[in-house]
Amino acid sequence: MISLVLLSVTIFLLVRLTGDPTVLLVEPGASQADLEAMRKQFGLDRPLWVQYGHFVSSLVRGDLGHSFYYRTPVLELYLSRLPSSLLLAVAAMAFSLLIGIPTGIIAAVRVNRWWDSAGKVFALLGLSLPSFWVGLLLILFFSVYLGWLPSSGAGTAAHLIMPAFALGWYFAAAHMRLTRSSMLDVLGSEYVKLARLKGLPEALVIGKHAFKNALIPVLTLAGINLVIMVNVAVVVETVFAWPGIGRLMYEGIAFRDFPVVQATVILNGAMVVIVSLLVDILYAVIDPRIRFAR
Amino acid sequence: MASNLRRVGSTVVAVMVAVVLVGLAVGPGAAAPEGQATWGVHIALAPTWFDPAETSGIITPFMVLYAMHDGLVKPMPGQAMAPSLAEAWTASKDGLVYEFALRRNVRFHNGDVMTAEDVKYSFERYRGASASLLKAKVAKVEALDPHRVRFTLRQPWPDFMAFYATPATGAAWIVPKKYVEQVGEEGFKKAPVGAGPYRFVSFKPGVELILEAHEQYWRKPPALKTLVFRTIPDESTRLAALKRGEVDVAYSITGPLAEEVQRSPGLALVPTYFTFTTWLVFTEQWDPKSPWHDRRVRLAANLAIDRAGINQAVYLGLSKLAHSFIPQGMEYFWAPPPYAFDPPRAKRLLAEAGYPNGFDAGELSGDTIYGVAIGEPVANYLQQVGVRVRLRPMERVAFFKEYGEKKLRGIIFSGSGAPGNAPIRLEQYAISGGRYAYGAYPDVDGLYTEQANEMNPRVRQQILHKIQQLIHEKVMFGPVIEPAFLNGVGPRLEVHGLGRIANHAYSAPYEDLRLRVK
Repeated sequence: MISLVLLSVTIFLLVRLTGDPTVLLVEPGASQADLEAMRKQFGLDRPLWVQYGHFVSSLVRGDLGHSFYYRTPVLELYLSRLPSSLLLAVAAMAFSLLIGIPTGIIAAVRVNRWWDSAGKVFALLGLSLPSFWVGLLLILFFSVYLGWLPSSGAGTAAHLIMPAFALGWYFAAAHMRLTRSSMLDVLGSEYVKLARLKGLPEALVIGKHAFKNALIPVLTLAGINLVIMVNVAVVVETVFAWPGIGRLMYEGIAFRDFPVVQATVILNGAMVVIVSLLVDILYAVIDPRIRFAR
Repeated sequence: MASNLRRVGSTVVAVMVAVVLVGLAVGPGAAAPEGQATWGVHIALAPTWFDPAETSGIITPFMVLYAMHDGLVKPMPGQAMAPSLAEAWTASKDGLVYEFALRRNVRFHNGDVMTAEDVKYSFERYRGASASLLKAKVAKVEALDPHRVRFTLRQPWPDFMAFYATPATGAAWIVPKKYVEQVGEEGFKKAPVGAGPYRFVSFKPGVELILEAHEQYWRKPPALKTLVFRTIPDESTRLAALKRGEVDVAYSITGPLAEEVQRSPGLALVPTYFTFTTWLVFTEQWDPKSPWHDRRVRLAANLAIDRAGINQAVYLGLSKLAHSFIPQGMEYFWAPPPYAFDPPRAKRLLAEAGYPNGFDAGELSGDTIYGVAIGEPVANYLQQVGVRVRLRPMERVAFFKEYGEKKLRGIIFSGSGAPGNAPIRLEQYAISGGRYAYGAYPDVDGLYTEQANEMNPRVRQQILHKIQQLIHEKVMFGPVIEPAFLNGVGPRLEVHGLGRIANHAYSAPYEDLRLRVK
């Protein structure tokens, strides 16, 4: 709760440092009277503390305000975009886990061999290539040259493939690196050595004894990453014209739509807090040592 | 028997004649609308664009207004003020009374017939750009009968029609009073009803708008059944969508991507123009200590700029060169003699003014869009003749804030696409007290006051031309370019509507659009 209160103050003040939004909603050359009328309409003519008081009292009542640009309730806008963001995040997460975990395990098991090197290159590219560039290359290749996939928009499974890949690659690389290092730690531990000495098959050692414990930090990261995917897909959603929260935030920032920026930041913050809590609970479920420590 | 036969025969002939006449009257355009056209829009679609009362003084909402709504009078192909929902209008000799005769049997999308009450209501409900000005000038609006509306002004105002009947405002675009009162303001935004050629089907804010043909549209039934507007914010993605045939028109394609459109078989690059121009403001020309105080220095700056070169490099030669800060398409525009690109003469002028080695001219401030794209080459050209300026690109909001508060110094790279006419543009930038005027000249101010009270259009035009002539003689500004709005068009549309209406950047009139016959 304290985090959310601090977040509300910070974002309220920060967006107002970016300047007068009415300038962007009219043509340069608009009359002073028009600008003042618009400021009055948005409540920007009132002192800052009055604006903040109104913002907080509305927030408590569940009213996140009206968008300056769309002139519709922000909560309505947010909720209309949330399903698309969740869909994209889940698809990107599935992709990142399906690619990241197996390649991480193989890289750890075949450490310093060809598979490991290939995995490192994959991770390096995933972490260093900007997602907008990856997105544009995907559009160029799969939409324009091959004509296999739609270039943008949403609505079908085909629309989801490229944005999920562009968003998920970075996270696949992160999951691969973490799985690899976590597996290396576990594979070097005493109980894994003992399992091998007992003559257990290698697949059982890796699959049952090593992988389950190595999974804990990966799952923790994946939980947080899922929220991050929902909230930071700004660039990917813009490139692919994907109708999610990231694009809503981009539009909010571009038009200085204070209520939209405030609401998306606060709701995204709330999402981070809730998911962190859920991950902590899940962590305890997976790792008995945490339960017993309590 | 014979008379019966004659009667039957004459009836058959009458029916045949009637069929032929109806056929001729309806013509080929009366075929049921079919097919779909899709636009890749560069900016987020907003529900405020569905409501003429919210028009904010930018041209963008008219992209949608031309489809969903209709105005009493509006710009149409070949006419700056074409009768639309009003068949005709008159202005009294004293300039105080304007009377509009409404077109009969015009129906809104919900079937309601448009009446004078709707016109009165739409004006009174209007709260967009210049609403306070319009309402201050208009004393009363009366519905004389269902088909006649009278506007009475408080005092003669020669610009009444320029504000009321052009995209300067949306006050003349008519909404159905009964329906708006029934569904309320929020309800109207969610399910707008108008009298335009297309009716609302669905909308996802910022994502997609779908419209369907209104076959009872008074002008003619639209040929296309469905219009889809999709927001695609990224320019490269818009081009990809155009190449794949996902959209038929991609708005705002610039630079190398525009060249790619030109190279692509089946695609066409179509420029449109609206009342947008860019110019330099010499902020220190009223300071006797500044080099800019000397007219020769300001003239040298104008002669140093290769406008054609900038046009070719940035807009593939498709923009218009500007020699006035008033756009060429604006009412009361006066065409000044063009500035030549003449660096040797520019250097001579600087030497005559006492700056043979040039001078440090401080900053050239501009926004991060046009201030960089056009401002940067301008700065380079000025450097070449010895006017040493530093480009200062500023974030758009900060730029206009400082510009309006008169905090910028040196040269400002200015621009405006606000609709209206020459006096409206002059007031903001060249007249004492103007929001962006860093100074003014008494003779220009005096003539401006004179024209504001002149009801004779011919005399008024002479005064406005004289003002622009004085501004040119004083070299008050450094006009650069009227940037074209470049768009990609795919092969499916035979009539895409781009550039058909003067000073309108988008496709229109939508009822004229047609797909190519396969």
